[in-house]
Amino acid sequence: MKFNQKKFVLLALVGAIGLTVAGCGKSDSGADVGTTSSPAASSEGQKPTLRALQVWQKDDYNTYPVAKVLEEKTGYKVQYDMLPQDNALDKLNLLMASGDAYDVITTRGDSNNKALFSDYAKRGALVDLGPLIDKYGPNIKASLSPESIEAAKIDGKLYGIPTRAISIVSASLLVRQDWLDKLGLNVPTTTAEFENMLKAFKEKDPGGNGVNNIPFTIDGSYPFVDSISGAFGMPNGWNDVEGQLVPRVMDTGYKDYLAYMNGLFKTGLLDKEFPVNKDANAKEKFASGKAGVIPLNWSDIPGIMDALNKNNSDAKWTYIPALKGPSGKFGLSANDGFAGITYIPKAAKHPEDAIIWMNAKLDNDTFKLMTIGEENKHYTVKDGAYAPILPLFSDERNQAFNYLTGTDEKNYPIYWQARVRKDPRLFAGWEFLNAKLPTETRYLDPLGISPYLPEYSKNNQSLDSMVNDQTVKFIAGADLTKLDDFIAKYKAAGGDASIKEVNEWYAAKNK
Amino acid sequence: MKKKTFGDIALDVFIYLLLLLVAASTLLPFLNVFSKAVSAEWAVVSGKVGLYPIGFQLDTMKFVITSNPFIRSFLVSVGVTVAGTALSMLLTAVTAYPLSKRQLPGIGMIMLLFIFTMLFNGGIIPNYLLMKQLGLINNLWVLVVPSLISVFNLLVIKSYYESLPDSLEESAKMDGACHFTVLFRIILPLSGPVLATIALFYAVSYWNDFFNSMLYISKPSLKPLQLYLRDIVMDADSVSAGMSRSVEDRMNVSPEGVRAATVIASTIPILLVYPYLQKYFIKGVLIGSVKG
Repeated sequence: MKFNQKKFVLLALVGAIGLTVAGCGKSDSGADVGTTSSPAASSEGQKPTLRALQVWQKDDYNTYPVAKVLEEKTGYKVQYDMLPQDNALDKLNLLMASGDAYDVITTRGDSNNKALFSDYAKRGALVDLGPLIDKYGPNIKASLSPESIEAAKIDGKLYGIPTRAISIVSASLLVRQDWLDKLGLNVPTTTAEFENMLKAFKEKDPGGNGVNNIPFTIDGSYPFVDSISGAFGMPNGWNDVEGQLVPRVMDTGYKDYLAYMNGLFKTGLLDKEFPVNKDANAKEKFASGKAGVIPLNWSDIPGIMDALNKNNSDAKWTYIPALKGPSGKFGLSANDGFAGITYIPKAAKHPEDAIIWMNAKLDNDTFKLMTIGEENKHYTVKDGAYAPILPLFSDERNQAFNYLTGTDEKNYPIYWQARVRKDPRLFAGWEFLNAKLPTETRYLDPLGISPYLPEYSKNNQSLDSMVNDQTVKFIAGADLTKLDDFIAKYKAAGGDASIKEVNEWYAAKNK
Repeated sequence: MKKKTFGDIALDVFIYLLLLLVAASTLLPFLNVFSKAVSAEWAVVSGKVGLYPIGFQLDTMKFVITSNPFIRSFLVSVGVTVAGTALSMLLTAVTAYPLSKRQLPGIGMIMLLFIFTMLFNGGIIPNYLLMKQLGLINNLWVLVVPSLISVFNLLVIKSYYESLPDSLEESAKMDGACHFTVLFRIILPLSGPVLATIALFYAVSYWNDFFNSMLYISKPSLKPLQLYLRDIVMDADSVSAGMSRSVEDRMNVSPEGVRAATVIASTIPILLVYPYLQKYFIKGVLIGSVKG
């Protein structure tokens, strides 16, 4: 018998209730775990095998080379299990509800996972890590910034070790340099110049595409285009406007943004099929040489350019710097937040050992070995710049980041660049957006390291898709006078509650 | 028989063509995925691959079927399917036999119990806890044991048995055959079509199952093929759907060609079973149902 998915979710919820019971039942034995030291950790020699639950990855954690390195360096044998890629949260609920004895659980750090984590902590299903870290975790303590610790705390206690994501600008507008050269144009710097460039693309058809010529294509699921939304003062989903966090839809720049994009759409500069474009469709249009501009993540550049150069060997790309809007604003979104959270359930058999293990992984040498390997075998270093030795680096360290249970927040962003240097085009894209553009271009996502905010988490997804759908309609020509009605609808659908909650936290944080 | 007019023939031809077209259209998605699997990556990325491959190459296929996780998942799936189908067939065929004897006392009650499990079950969490108590979590038997008898299949076999003439059995008994001899020497050899059909049902369901493995298997080395496949496909989907993923993650997503090749490589083995059992297929289901 097959269960349908809805039923599954429902049952997972039932499981969450069951978790309360499991949490209570275990609390007698679990309470002393945090406060008294059980002999398991201190007795030398006999190190137990730890059980770790990880997020999905393509390769088997147990046989991937990093696992062996960690076993040698930390002395702990670890049995890694992994969540499925699909329904990961439901499965996690199931495992937690049934009290599976994992010593370490590492999940991703997005808001859904944060919500679960906070739920577990509040129900008493997690071990308070504070005392354990004080006792066994000097490296963990040294590597975490106060900011990260604050964001991972629940009711004042630290139940999880966050792995801070590397803050990067990941996407901007990519343009065909060869098209610009052909028309004798410079890379645009303002939204007006950008529009003129698109006009030239449309009229002069530098790609020779005829009726298939598309000056500018975007993915219809992301109507807020990088760089252009920044030009109207809203690079992130929520932006600081005079000390208050304001969602895009209520930003003063929103209306101007819609008018500008609608202008591009009406004059045929923006792909007329954009409302139905999926990520892959937009990329196909650019890779086949039909489109002149696309918002693109730099991690996609090698794949797309490989294809484009097969179709047209003269094709060259360049990133357009953050466009300046009519009021002189500009900016690109830079992500911030947690790539992962690691916690120890009360059902764990060896919580002390788990902390000792995680602490050992954060030892400077071990950490480096784990993340980028051995010098002159996996990587080379010159003037502080790490470069990979291929293919060994890819074969043995591509998945290394999945083994992180806490990160060296100072050094990892530097080591990590070895990954970016795997391909010169990858590096060029990353470098342009993250090193060459002036610092004031990059706007950190202000909600990135917020703690778990219940109202925001609850509404975020539905509000986002509501705003995206409506924005597509507005750009495609829906009546802009309906904007106020839409804002009222947005507020009623949970927008107001989210704004209030987010700003209460924001005010307290900035105090 | 009335002679067909030109109009009749034209109509027939039209209907046949239409049906052929409809039938062929069901093949299109499959053809598209297949073409992607054997096309050059650049052609796939540029969206040029439709129904036929562009830049034909087999490296992607080779890469997929020689990668370790694939081979291991493949072996797990083959093992589960073979063992599961064999055990299921044995148990279902044997269980159906006494249930087909309506004159036995209490048989209606027992039948009801079977049917009850078709409609009701404990739900996922209790089932999970049960499997855990039985020590079946992260154990391949968990993919076989809970689904050993499918009541639907049991009913099909049972009604087929009931359609066999009683006199056959009686004559065998007169010659001194016990119940087991009757079942294995008389009934089963006569039930070829229905058994082949049910074997196919079982094989397909064992092969295609990802749900049980998703629930009960967390150990990477025990994941069957369908779960492996689903994870790879979902991985790419979640990136293109913009779910918050770390940039390291984004750089590791399998290219579309690899995904297509994985889909093809995991579909073909079970497709190969169909032609061999096809001839029994329709016959089996019909005989079982109509005469029952």
